[in-house]
Amino acid sequence: MNKTEIKIVIAVFALFILALAVLLPVMPDVEFSQQENRLLQQLPSFSLEALADGDFTADFESYTTDQFPFRDAWTALKARCELLLGKKENNGVYYCKGGALIPNFDVPAKETVDKNIDYLNALVDGTDIPVYFGLIPGAGEVQASLLPKNAPMGSQQTVIDWAYDRSRAFNIDVQSALGAHKDEYIFYRTDHHWTSLGAYYGYEALCQAMGLPAPSLASYDRQTVSESFYGTTYSSSGFSWVKPDTMETFVPDDGSVKVLDMSKDPPAEGPLYDASFLDVKDKYSMFLGGNCPLRSIETGHEGPSILIVRDSYSDSLAPFLLENFSRIDLVDLRYYRDSLASYARDNGFDMILVLYSVNNFSTDRNLFLLEPSLLETEEEK
Amino acid sequence: MVFSSILFMFIYLPIVLAVYYIVPARWRNLWLFIVNLVFYGWGEPVYILLMIFSICLNYVSGLLIGRYLPARRKKAKGVLILNTVLNLALLFFFKYFDLVAETLSMIPGVDIPALGLTLPIGISFYTFQTMSYPIDVYRGDGHVQKNFIKFGTFVALFPQLIAGPIVRYKDIAQQLDERHESADQFAAGVERFVVGLGKKVLIANNVGMLWDVYANAAPGQLTFVGAWMAAMAFSLQIYFDFSGYSDMAIGLGRMLGFTFLENFNYPYISRSVTEFWRRWHISLGTWFRDYVYFPLGGNRKGLPRQLLNLLIVWALTGIWHGASWTFLFWGLYYAFFLFLEKMFLLKWLQKHAVVGHIYTLLVAVSGWVIFQQTSVSQTAVFFRAMYGFGQGGFCCGQDLYYLAGFGTMLLIACVSCLPLGRDLFNRLPQKVRTVAAPVLLLAVLVISTAYLVDSTYNPFLYFRF
Repeated sequence: MNKTEIKIVIAVFALFILALAVLLPVMPDVEFSQQENRLLQQLPSFSLEALADGDFTADFESYTTDQFPFRDAWTALKARCELLLGKKENNGVYYCKGGALIPNFDVPAKETVDKNIDYLNALVDGTDIPVYFGLIPGAGEVQASLLPKNAPMGSQQTVIDWAYDRSRAFNIDVQSALGAHKDEYIFYRTDHHWTSLGAYYGYEALCQAMGLPAPSLASYDRQTVSESFYGTTYSSSGFSWVKPDTMETFVPDDGSVKVLDMSKDPPAEGPLYDASFLDVKDKYSMFLGGNCPLRSIETGHEGPSILIVRDSYSDSLAPFLLENFSRIDLVDLRYYRDSLASYARDNGFDMILVLYSVNNFSTDRNLFLLEPSLLETEEEK
Repeated sequence: MVFSSILFMFIYLPIVLAVYYIVPARWRNLWLFIVNLVFYGWGEPVYILLMIFSICLNYVSGLLIGRYLPARRKKAKGVLILNTVLNLALLFFFKYFDLVAETLSMIPGVDIPALGLTLPIGISFYTFQTMSYPIDVYRGDGHVQKNFIKFGTFVALFPQLIAGPIVRYKDIAQQLDERHESADQFAAGVERFVVGLGKKVLIANNVGMLWDVYANAAPGQLTFVGAWMAAMAFSLQIYFDFSGYSDMAIGLGRMLGFTFLENFNYPYISRSVTEFWRRWHISLGTWFRDYVYFPLGGNRKGLPRQLLNLLIVWALTGIWHGASWTFLFWGLYYAFFLFLEKMFLLKWLQKHAVVGHIYTLLVAVSGWVIFQQTSVSQTAVFFRAMYGFGQGGFCCGQDLYYLAGFGTMLLIACVSCLPLGRDLFNRLPQKVRTVAAPVLLLAVLVISTAYLVDSTYNPFLYFRF
């Protein structure tokens, strides 16, 4: 090393470290990361107690990474490097043809699936109301042809087969309905959900199973509500240069529909489409206003009533159902803790639909709440 | 705290260096002493007490041995034995108690509950390091350190505190009293640190993910290609992880004016297992040679005794790597090959270089499978697949996917195992180097930072040791 090299090496190192070291405390702290869709760690307050049990040091370290200057740019750089090296995945998300970001899927143990189906069967056996059951496969199954060559992907078909073989409910073949249109824009490219178009094909399958008429696709008045939707797989992957998704509504909110959040007392009325979500990261929550323990929709139409045991896929499906039903209730077992069977009985529902994405169904730990006997005893307590 | 973290690079290190160079030289040891404890206590603040106890224990032992020598040699020896026993007892208690408890509890009627203590970071490293001090004093290889701060600085010196190199007291004694920081040293330290950072963050963490993909594969799923790719990936991961960490330690040391001995010397180019262990984790090998193998008599007491000594040293080396019987097995596996080589193989290998390279790599790579698998049955699954008796066949689509994704990185890593890059760089004209060195340095810093910010995938392998 000559003198010049020594000087330059020290200067480069010192400037790089010091610049970021100074920016870290100087730049204003960010509370929420749009990119990651989570609250970021704030500067922890110091106490001897927190120091002794290690909380302070742990929180402080998260603070330094969460609030690191230009955090999102660094993640994007890393994702770029990975692609450059030939890797087609980052943080469990595949970078697929056409810029689609498809999450990996792990096949759960068969026992987990069996157990969840047993709860479903207990509901079927414990009520006189007809129970319909549908599993929605994700893009990783339906659009497998988009995946990188040879990419490992757990078979969602396997899970559906296990579940439908064992189920005593009326099974709905969502898989074939989506599969028939696999080259269309039925899944968001940057999110794990189905698009409104995907939901329409799911709705068709549902109608077929229930013997209800479904309007043709051409009869809907399709409205683009957002062209800047970046979803969950976008957030987790760091492939931040892909194009955003387009969101559509098919069924207009004509004001005759009454959407009630039953978890509030008194029940709070909300819109069918909550446009305020279009201004934030979590745009998908525009449909019905996102997660809610129990939501009741009075459609203003004639028809039977239906109780849907939901995950978030049902929110974009619900608008299609308005025309066929007089009342649609959506219950979320993650948050709802009262008796489902007695709620269905007391409100005189004509049918029950248990509708989950394969991914959520494979990991869900709340389906035991379907079991009527268990809930009756819990109720008595 | 680990070096390859945002906290260390952008908060701890600038503060430590700035204050270190602002204060007068006589306060620098005190400053290091304080920040060493912060570094050590960051993950588990309570264990600072353990560290201070360890420093006091060995400090006092050293003083006593120094006072008793040379007149009262027996008393000095008594202190030395007591000190060694106490040091090893601490190491045993925190690291091996649960293993022994679980093993003994397999005997019917015996039930010793496990304690589930968090392993104090670096305990295996700094215990060996501190133990060496009273021994060196007793042997007359090092002088007594009367200054408590200087001694404490030696024990907890953050660059090599948690992952070595294991610095023997005698190698560093003089530098504690007097060392010469210079721009030359500092720049060399920076380069070394960044090289180590890149090895750890860009190479080791990356190829490590490939091993994780295959590590728990079922027998029917593991193909020949998959097993070899995974075994290779782990062999590369552990080398770049560990030697990268040593590079960072040596680099940081130089920034502070210390010179540590080298810990790795391109081990994968070895032509025999004997040579491999002279190039791999050199400071550990030296430690066991100086403080166990030679005192036991080494090779000077006949062949049966030498075999026994080898077995003892390698059993200890194995179990030092972790509290699991698989590590003991791994150590004895090496004892076997080393003994073979001592008997006749080494001479033959020296005449057949190509065979030597292949054989050494096979032994090392297979050894890492034993080392990293937590169960013997899974090791067997790997060995069957690697040596042609697997049920998974030769290759499958999944292997091709991972080969496409990791191939480039594996290739980069393999080439980086050779001294080639270093030699080429040194052959460049000084003018080119003056530009190339800072450019490469900045590139590695920027990309490593991106990986560090992005990734929670930053497990540090040697925490378990």
